[in-house]
Amino acid sequence: MEQTDQLILDTAQRLFADHCGADVVNAAESGVAPVRLLTALLEAGLPLAWVPENAGGVGGSLALGFNLIRQSAGFALAAPLAETLVANRVLAESGLEVAESWTVLVFDGGVLPMLAGGKISGLVESAPMHAGVTRLVVPVSDQGAIRIATFAPDDVEIDYRESLAGESRAQVQLSESVPLALSSAVDGMSEHGLMQFCALVRACQIAGAMEKMNELTVAYVKERQQFGRALGKFQAIQHKVADIAGESALANAAVEQAARELSEHSRPFSGSADTLLSIATAKVVASEAAGTVSRLAHQCHGAMGFSYEYPLQQYSRRIWSWREEYGSEFYWSERIGLAVADELKHSAPGQNDGRVWDIVSR
Amino acid sequence: MSETIRFNFPAPVIDDSVDRLRKEVRAFLQAEIRNGGFQPVTDCWCSGIDPAFSRKLGQRGWLGVTWPKEYGGQELSALHRYVITEELLVAGAPVHAHWIADRQSGPLILATGTEEMKRTLLPRIAAGECFVALGLSEPESGSDLASVRTRAHKVEDGWELTGTKLWSSGAQICQYMTVLARTSERDDKKRHEGLTQFLVPLDSPGVSVRGIRDMSGVEHFNESHFENVFVPEDAVLGAVGAGWKQITSELALERSGPERLLSTFVVLEKAFLQAVATMSGHQAAVMGGMLARTRALRAMSLGVAALLEQGQYPEVEASLVKDLGTRFEQDIIERLREFWPIQLKQSFGDELHYLLADSLLRQPSFTLRGGTNEVLKGIIARGMGLR
Ligand SMILES: Cc1cc2nc3c(=O)[nH]c(=O)nc-3n(C[C@H](O)[C@H](O)[C@H](O)COP(=O)(O)OP(=O)(O)OC[C@H]3O[C@@H](n4cnc5c(N)ncnc54)[C@H](O)[C@@H]3O)c2cc1C
Repeated sequence: MEQTDQLILDTAQRLFADHCGADVVNAAESGVAPVRLLTALLEAGLPLAWVPENAGGVGGSLALGFNLIRQSAGFALAAPLAETLVANRVLAESGLEVAESWTVLVFDGGVLPMLAGGKISGLVESAPMHAGVTRLVVPVSDQGAIRIATFAPDDVEIDYRESLAGESRAQVQLSESVPLALSSAVDGMSEHGLMQFCALVRACQIAGAMEKMNELTVAYVKERQQFGRALGKFQAIQHKVADIAGESALANAAVEQAARELSEHSRPFSGSADTLLSIATAKVVASEAAGTVSRLAHQCHGAMGFSYEYPLQQYSRRIWSWREEYGSEFYWSERIGLAVADELKHSAPGQNDGRVWDIVSR
Repeated sequence: MSETIRFNFPAPVIDDSVDRLRKEVRAFLQAEIRNGGFQPVTDCWCSGIDPAFSRKLGQRGWLGVTWPKEYGGQELSALHRYVITEELLVAGAPVHAHWIADRQSGPLILATGTEEMKRTLLPRIAAGECFVALGLSEPESGSDLASVRTRAHKVEDGWELTGTKLWSSGAQICQYMTVLARTSERDDKKRHEGLTQFLVPLDSPGVSVRGIRDMSGVEHFNESHFENVFVPEDAVLGAVGAGWKQITSELALERSGPERLLSTFVVLEKAFLQAVATMSGHQAAVMGGMLARTRALRAMSLGVAALLEQGQYPEVEASLVKDLGTRFEQDIIERLREFWPIQLKQSFGDELHYLLADSLLRQPSFTLRGGTNEVLKGIIARGMGLR
């Protein structure tokens, strides 16, 4: 890893640990804004970590951003850092100015068409949102190309919702809205590409949260005593912990591989067939694991894990939402199946022996 | 164990020579299938015994590839061996005869054997002409391997072995067996001490090997009796009394190989081909999901290989691969049933059905052999500080 990258990760780790304890996360959900956390993140320039230096950013690598996002999920970070990182990266790709403060990509898988005169209308069903955002970044389609439009929150209708974990989400209605800024067609960006990118972000978050759940569970079963010994001494519990570790490790392996591949790709937002398999794999495996890991971690924790005060629930509720966003395991599995079938259909008859393995092992 | 539990799986360094080798092996196997050299089988590394085919691989220089050239090897990397084994597995090639010797016994001899052993045996193993069976389990010792009762008594110029080994795969065609035996009295406080590994020629007087039919109908594993079998001093592998340490590190390394996730891939491959023309969204999702898991498990298994190359000892990670991978091998068959019910043993010429049926009949063994999944979970739990 490059030196800047490690420096950024170390700084982030310190900030998260100092300002995002379990109490801060719970309080944020009840409406107490984590002011110190938000300020510290902005002051450290973390929202710009993924923006190239020539666009006014910190110039961290793509791999760094995915690591940072994974790390932040291990704290159930009560700030829209991942959202802002993505939105700023998209702004930078499009040549528009990056946002000074919090921003979100108003995207849930489909892009809105651009109307004549550069106006935009339409509904985004479930976009990430945050009370503190100053800019909305909206991808729009114009004659088959993607352009990026920005809006102030007041320019559009925002119907606030919450994810299962109380993270802000919104229905965003645009009615012939006029953008603050509108990029020209962004080279190498497609709807599929945005979808892949956002799916990998969620997969990273799930992986990061599951690592934390694994940690919490191991610590808890070592500490908690019943029948005169630590829960962790019971084989039934040991096997659950081993299963948590396995699913979490598998998600890590898949997420790391996908992040590596996307980072090496010259056009990370293009939705290339080259990156589809790895990213889809990461989201499938992470989303599947989310169900298994939360079930087992809660079982190991007994009623304590079901209480609001104990932090486990902040992670399980998050991963339950994240596994659905930007394509669940069902969605991405189907994408893989169809893509592979399609490739097989297009190879010459009799040339298909071993083709599935050829694709999987590529 | 540190406070943060994080499992990382670094990318293996795959250079052109690895890729080239993969393509070479792939082309060879496709040609073999076309020419009727072999019929693809499921779980081929356990069920497909064909010494002649093993010799063909030996002639191509694809066995013992990581060993020194002076002992018949090619001095290639572990990754080269990894891709060879992957290609053999997914093709369903009959590789059982040499599998254990190439994977395990050869490296064991290289690490602990006498110079004489290395000079005479390793080149023959690499040529696919000498096979070795594993003599660990016994009638009274399975998961609790340290309880083995086979005894080796010191006699003049060597040792005398007496006992019974059970479930040794492929022993009927092997020339040797590595036998784990007790060399000093059992002490309940130090039960892992006093065990020693011996390399025993199976044609020694006093050895008898009897095949055992398994539930899939194949006679692949064996019961072997040793009745006052004499072996010379230099049949000891490694140090007298160090057997336990040797086999645990041996086992740790064989846990995360591709045969722990790809035993049934050949079935998934054929199923996919058959489904392509009529694939519905639902079927695409079920089968695509399996490809995703294959890919993720492979990233993990390759990650362990990379950690090993870096000189680390990723015992927990390797156990995680085997636990997840072997259960997945079973899941593949269970899930394909949705589209291809498995009812008949005979297939009336339908290759896919035959492979499915055979997989189902073999799958109970996946989560047992080489240390059961319960034992693996115990290792993982210990690695996380619970035991
Ligand atoms: C196809 C096949 C090939 C084999 N090849 C070889 C070979 O070549 N050489 C060789 O030496 N052996 C071989 N084996 C044997 C294999 O190593 C043993 O089957 C395995 O170690 C388990 O031992 P066991 O069968 O006696 O089961 P047992 O140890 O009796 O276990 C039965 C069940 O109890 C569980 N159990 C046992 N102890 C515990 C515990 N402490 N906690 C929780 N659960 C526990 C096990 O997990 C298992 O589910 C082979 C087995 C198979 C199926």
